[in-house]
Amino acid sequence: MIPLSWYLMLAAALFCVGLYGMLAERHLITMLMSLELMLNAVILNMVAFARYLEPQALHGKTFALFIYALAAADAVLGLALTVLVWRNRDTVAIDKINTLKG
Amino acid sequence: MFTVPRLLFLCFAFIALGSAVRMVVAHQVFHAAFWLILSFFGIAALYVMLEAPFMTGLQLFLYIGGVAVLNIMAIMVTRQMMHPRRTANDPLTAALMAFSTFSFILWMILQLPFPNEPQVPAPVGNLPVIGELLVDVNGYALPFELVSLLLFVVLLSVLYLAKER
Repeated sequence: MIPLSWYLMLAAALFCVGLYGMLAERHLITMLMSLELMLNAVILNMVAFARYLEPQALHGKTFALFIYALAAADAVLGLALTVLVWRNRDTVAIDKINTLKG
Repeated sequence: MFTVPRLLFLCFAFIALGSAVRMVVAHQVFHAAFWLILSFFGIAALYVMLEAPFMTGLQLFLYIGGVAVLNIMAIMVTRQMMHPRRTANDPLTAALMAFSTFSFILWMILQLPFPNEPQVPAPVGNLPVIGELLVDVNGYALPFELVSLLLFVVLLSVLYLAKER
């Protein structure tokens, strides 16, 4: 079978790709996409730990379900805010949204 | 060393990770959305290998059917479809930070003795047990209700935000 550490390494790599996208990005929608990638990496960790170490794999999967619900909520709210920003300012580039900048 | 499950794992991991990298470096926002969908497919295949078919279904329905389609609709509404995307002034610093985070996590993973084999037998028919655990007072009843309240509030707030004024 596959060692548990392989899953953990893959999840770490996915998380860091998402982190790079989050830091290097200037576009609100792709930032949200990177955020979803990071959440996916965390869920993969949860499911892998539940399969390898937990009898019946109950609590790990339950945590994964909660993360799914929160990820759906933040995606919906983030995209609604993106559309709202675009409607008000005609741009979704985060370096153009600088009204609060002193 | 390289048995069939390991080769399958490497194949799906390559799909997930490779398309994630392509998503981050894609030239157009619309292409990035499609690479993200492919990455979600790779992760769904990995859930099958982890013997969690319910999570596979959730991944396909919720992430690909819900979140990714919502992303594409947001890209269309904001008319960013064919705009070339611009990255930050200094993507090298971002790459350095991501790489150092990755090497730190990798170092921590290699320090700990993780098992090579699953320590427990594969779960059989545990979906009803998870369902009971979610609404059990001694289980996760309170977080479950809080999440449903959160989803309700998100629904209302998105309706309010999307209203034309």
